[in-house]
Amino acid sequence: MNLAIPTPGIRRRSVTGLWLRHAVSFVRYWKFIITWVLVEPVIILVAVGFGVGKLVHEVEGAPSYAEFMAPGLIMGNAMFHALFETSWNAYNRLDNDVYETALTTPITITEITMGDILWAVTRSVMTVVGTATVAAMFCWINHWEAIGILIPAIMVGTTFGALGFLFSAVAPHTTFLTLVFTLVASPMFFFSGSFFPISILPNWVEPIAWAMPLTSAVHIARGFALGHLAWSHLWAALYMVALTAVIWPVAIFLLKRRLIK
Amino acid sequence: MTNETQQKNDVVRNPDGSVIHVDNIRKLYGDFVAVDGISFAVQPGETYGLLGPNGAGKTTTMRMLSGLSPVNSGNIIVAGIDVVKDNRAVREVMGVVTQHDGLDNGLTVFQNLFLHGFLAGLSRKKSKARAHEVLEFFGLRDRSKSNVYELSGGMKRRLAIARSMMTTPAVIVMDEPSTGLDPQSRNRVWEELAILKEAGVTVLLSTHYMEEATILCDRLSIMDNGKILDEGTPDQMIERHAPKEVAQLRVDPASLRTVRDYLNVREMSFREVGALVSVTGVNGDRPDLSGLTDVEGVRSSYRSGNLEDVFLSITGRELRDE
Repeated sequence: MNLAIPTPGIRRRSVTGLWLRHAVSFVRYWKFIITWVLVEPVIILVAVGFGVGKLVHEVEGAPSYAEFMAPGLIMGNAMFHALFETSWNAYNRLDNDVYETALTTPITITEITMGDILWAVTRSVMTVVGTATVAAMFCWINHWEAIGILIPAIMVGTTFGALGFLFSAVAPHTTFLTLVFTLVASPMFFFSGSFFPISILPNWVEPIAWAMPLTSAVHIARGFALGHLAWSHLWAALYMVALTAVIWPVAIFLLKRRLIK
Repeated sequence: MTNETQQKNDVVRNPDGSVIHVDNIRKLYGDFVAVDGISFAVQPGETYGLLGPNGAGKTTTMRMLSGLSPVNSGNIIVAGIDVVKDNRAVREVMGVVTQHDGLDNGLTVFQNLFLHGFLAGLSRKKSKARAHEVLEFFGLRDRSKSNVYELSGGMKRRLAIARSMMTTPAVIVMDEPSTGLDPQSRNRVWEELAILKEAGVTVLLSTHYMEEATILCDRLSIMDNGKILDEGTPDQMIERHAPKEVAQLRVDPASLRTVRDYLNVREMSFREVGALVSVTGVNGDRPDLSGLTDVEGVRSSYRSGNLEDVFLSITGRELRDE
């Protein structure tokens, strides 16, 4: 029996154990979840790509509207997954004392957020790989550099995984979690440059749009998808990292307040 | 199961020979004192009970012991681990059954056990093997693939207890192991706890059922308002605080006044719960109720003093379920 585990520091088994729990639960319900991972985004992709794409003939910096929109939509969808995992699903785990039970093993709150965010990243990557493959089949993604979309996929999973906890950790009831979607997800989905370039927005809206982390993710993903990367993509990545570095500790703090009484 | 559980006596002891040593711990929530400087020690292989009504501070005590809630002051040593300093290490050696089953509805019965064992540090292979063992022991093998929400309350509770056994802990802390269960399920839980005890597991449990405390506990503390009022074996406690015999009268409403007058005149102490009047004689001796034998609508019987009477006598209040 090894009792020499110090209280600080990260215990790897806590993270993999929680991740495995999510994976096992996912496998049980995959038939339902897959509709969201793949079916729904593909429907939107096809509808917007073929529908709106027919009407829009010119879009800044991309050969076609579908090629412009695809990486944006893919990132927006990944955001929903990551947010849902740590807001809605995490709230249910709080409510059903699943974390309370986990805490009877040698796990810490920090490790709980790590395991859950790792799973949010997994979901984000899963849906990005699935939808990007479909987009590539339609020839809406044409560059080998597009493999790099995995980088913003991981970042979206991390940033929004951490962000979701800010809601679940303070939510008094499930209805409260509606705010995640009305205040965070929906505005970002539409104003982060997924469906139209931010530059066409009124001047005063533009900085607000850039402040949204999804905007950075979409920007990076588009750079990879269209095969031209610039310094601006690096700044966008650093912005997301910095934002996560602020949100994550707050999430840990709020969860501690809720769970350690 | 038995082979492994029998190794329990190897538990690391504290310097004073105990397995759980609690020294003057306090817990405050704002101005409210939830636990007010309590101390006790649990010896290896012992089943120790914290008996008290809801809100007495039992759950808070258990949570502090298992490292889930920081203490405001005081010391806790479990199996040689300073819980106040290292709340992670204690969760390596201790099994915990929380008050709510805390089962994972997204998983099957088996997965609940397997993933808990894995999270606790067992290898995947070991955790699977142990999950089968534990399911077998708790008679849940044929429910292994069930969703947990399909289980009855008693099965859920037993699964929660089974889960705490995954790591073959030498010490188990159980918060109200049988609260909310029907009598049959409760008996089943008690039988299983008795087997654990035989295997040498040290158990600390909280309860507000005096029957549970009497049956399971080697020693117990009576808790109220965050304090321990007295400690001892159930027999010692009854001898110290309870009357030797208590008369129980079932009284029809029409005769109630006659009975009250009779008892009041003779200065016998009594309490009424519905139609049941419990009467204690002077010095705890068998109360003299000969004058009531002719009163219509009164049936009397006698029972020995129990922990319920102990609680009443120490706190002046009833130890009721809710």
